[in-house]
Amino acid sequence: MILPGEPGQIWGKSIGPLATRPRAAISPGGNFSCPWPFMLKNALLTLLSLAIAIGGGGGSVWYALKIQDGVGAIRIGQWTAFPDIGTPSADPYSKARVAREGVLALGRAEGLTFVAERDASGGELKRECTYRIEGGFPTARFWTLYAADQSLGVVETGKPRLAALQSYGVLRQSDNSVIISASHHPMPGNWLLTDGFGRMYFVLTFYDTPIASSTGLSDVSLPRIVKVGCDA
Amino acid sequence: MRSFHAVLRRLLHAVLLGLVGAGIVHIIVLLLVPEFSERDAWSRLSMASDLYKMTRLDAEAGGAPVVKSVDPLFYATACRFDLGEGMVRIKAPGHVPFWSVSVYDRNGHNIYSFNDHTATGGVLDAVVLTPAQMIDVRKDLPEDLQGAIFVEAPIEEGIFVIRAFVPDDSWKPIVSRFFEQSSCELQDF
Repeated sequence: MILPGEPGQIWGKSIGPLATRPRAAISPGGNFSCPWPFMLKNALLTLLSLAIAIGGGGGSVWYALKIQDGVGAIRIGQWTAFPDIGTPSADPYSKARVAREGVLALGRAEGLTFVAERDASGGELKRECTYRIEGGFPTARFWTLYAADQSLGVVETGKPRLAALQSYGVLRQSDNSVIISASHHPMPGNWLLTDGFGRMYFVLTFYDTPIASSTGLSDVSLPRIVKVGCDA
Repeated sequence: MRSFHAVLRRLLHAVLLGLVGAGIVHIIVLLLVPEFSERDAWSRLSMASDLYKMTRLDAEAGGAPVVKSVDPLFYATACRFDLGEGMVRIKAPGHVPFWSVSVYDRNGHNIYSFNDHTATGGVLDAVVLTPAQMIDVRKDLPEDLQGAIFVEAPIEEGIFVIRAFVPDDSWKPIVSRFFEQSSCELQDF
């Protein structure tokens, strides 16, 4: 008994504004030629909205995937690691980056990679500068250290010597710490050869290490990177 | 003047609508990138070689590296497999200073990894199979699979990667031979 009544009331109410609104909109202007430019304007505004939505949405994804820094990073001193990258539990940005760049990330039982892009004083690492990397290294079966370019590939030295060092081949101090000199010029002790100009990254990877499990990362200290000087 | 305000309001309305739309498009595109990427590891490998074929990932074998960001002191090789066709067995005889293995799914996510300390006698002999195939194998374990490491993976298509440490130049031929002798084949059962 009630049900048929209510729709009727709503129908009745909605008729009112619908019928009056066009009349109010047309009468002040006084002409009926209004709808055509009106529709064209609507189409332009719709196009504008669509352009902002598609351009802005697509562009922002592209930008978010381009920048190195991101969610899920762990910072220790100047070193950054992404322990979750390449795992099914990674965030959507890491997943998209893995898919776009074709990365095959190291597994937990393999190792953990740290990347440094700044020295201890906060300046960007430069290939024309000399750096001293000093300090203790966390527990691992072994580690490798290499100088990398923007794409994190190893720096081309143009010589048979690779721009890379590994823990079996370094000299140690009496307290088991290591001092490494990264330079274009030959250096005494542990010499990491670099070459060229422009930005540089240090990539330090620990293999078969307990710090790769998330609980092991809490009290890890990594070596400091100190700038010694630059070629003029 | 009033019409100017009306236009401005409509313009603002359109821009705001566009920004909300941009947020929605951002999320949709982000979630669709892994689905439609033609530059992921699987696509790059499938351009380089066939299923069940060991492919070197490092630049040492000639040409640009297939998959980027490999440690310069490491050699790596990969093969693609499809568990829908049956289980896959990976073997590599010989000893190198360090090797490690990762199993990736179709999207390049690392789902399982182990290294030479896990293997019996340090020899790489592994079988990747689905849980259903595992049940079949458990019923009657063949003699030659006794020492193998079984990797149970709830996937169909996947990538198997072996990485081996090259401490210095003198190890290059030994590690290269380790990879040349490695095999990745469909295991009959």
